Amino acid sequence: MKTLAFILITLISGAIAGTILGLINQLLVEPYIDQAIEIEVQNTVASGEPVDLDELVQYRLWQKGGEIVAGTILGTSISALFGIVYVYSRDSLPGSNNKKKGLILAGIMFFVIFLIPALKYPANPPAVGDPETIEYRESLYIGMLVISGFTALGVAIIYRSLGQSRKESRKIIVPATYAVIIALAFAVLPNNSDEVAISADLLMNFRIVTTITMGIFWGALGILLGSFWDVVKPHETRAPKLRTV
Amino acid sequence: MSNVNMLLVKESSGLPKIAIGVLLAILLFGMFIVGYDQGQLFSLVEGQKAFDDMWMHEFYHDLRHAAGFPCH
Repeated sequence: MKTLAFILITLISGAIAGTILGLINQLLVEPYIDQAIEIEVQNTVASGEPVDLDELVQYRLWQKGGEIVAGTILGTSISALFGIVYVYSRDSLPGSNNKKKGLILAGIMFFVIFLIPALKYPANPPAVGDPETIEYRESLYIGMLVISGFTALGVAIIYRSLGQSRKESRKIIVPATYAVIIALAFAVLPNNSDEVAISADLLMNFRIVTTITMGIFWGALGILLGSFWDVVKPHETRAPKLRTV
Repeated sequence: MSNVNMLLVKESSGLPKIAIGVLLAILLFGMFIVGYDQGQLFSLVEGQKAFDDMWMHEFYHDLRHAAGFPCH
């Protein structure tokens, strides 16, 4: 394994995909965040607190810039995990080239570490969420993410250990085991009880759009790492030249 | 006497532990500062002020919401 080349293409793929996420969000997600911030401002004004609108405009521009930086950092950090999983699953993934394999793994990881936690604890725009409960909500979200991630890891190990001889049975056992454990986690973990004081349309549109942009991020990450992999081939190492006399 | 030069290409699928460690450290650090920091990191330098300012929370605020992390 060309370790340094592998680490570089992994992190660069994530940085690019994450930057794309931050930029796409400017177009698709920001209109909903701005609507939610407007509701927050109206609530603040209604409570009698002064709001400096000029300062708010500058502050929002700063936060929108921060979203792109955050996208790059988040993309790089997620790709670090994606790269490790890709190395150990590449031989088992379907697909004739690394772009296809990368895209398939990205789809699986989008499902396991974004979609499943989001179904239990969906994304919320600003104006939803009590600051007093943030640590509690963070714990629940991490809990769901960890349960989904480690369950997927466990069933992947079972999938490999069953081997080719039990090809048909593992197609049933593996997803069924994952589904049962996730269903139990959904039943046992408490729901987010914070009050939602914005319109159902704004809430639902925000959740749909953020799911789409996160899907685009994961897709871009898989294709980028697969493309770099096809060019760099970090799994191939050249043995020393042999001299036969 | 003859010389035969052979170039062998072998495939290896493992990763050195140090590489896994570096990548996991990047994962945890990046996820923490973007998704969870409430002033903890800057408090190492600024003390209590960092928890009041929550600079990183505010700067990464929009992506926190958009990526599904709990916020506010």
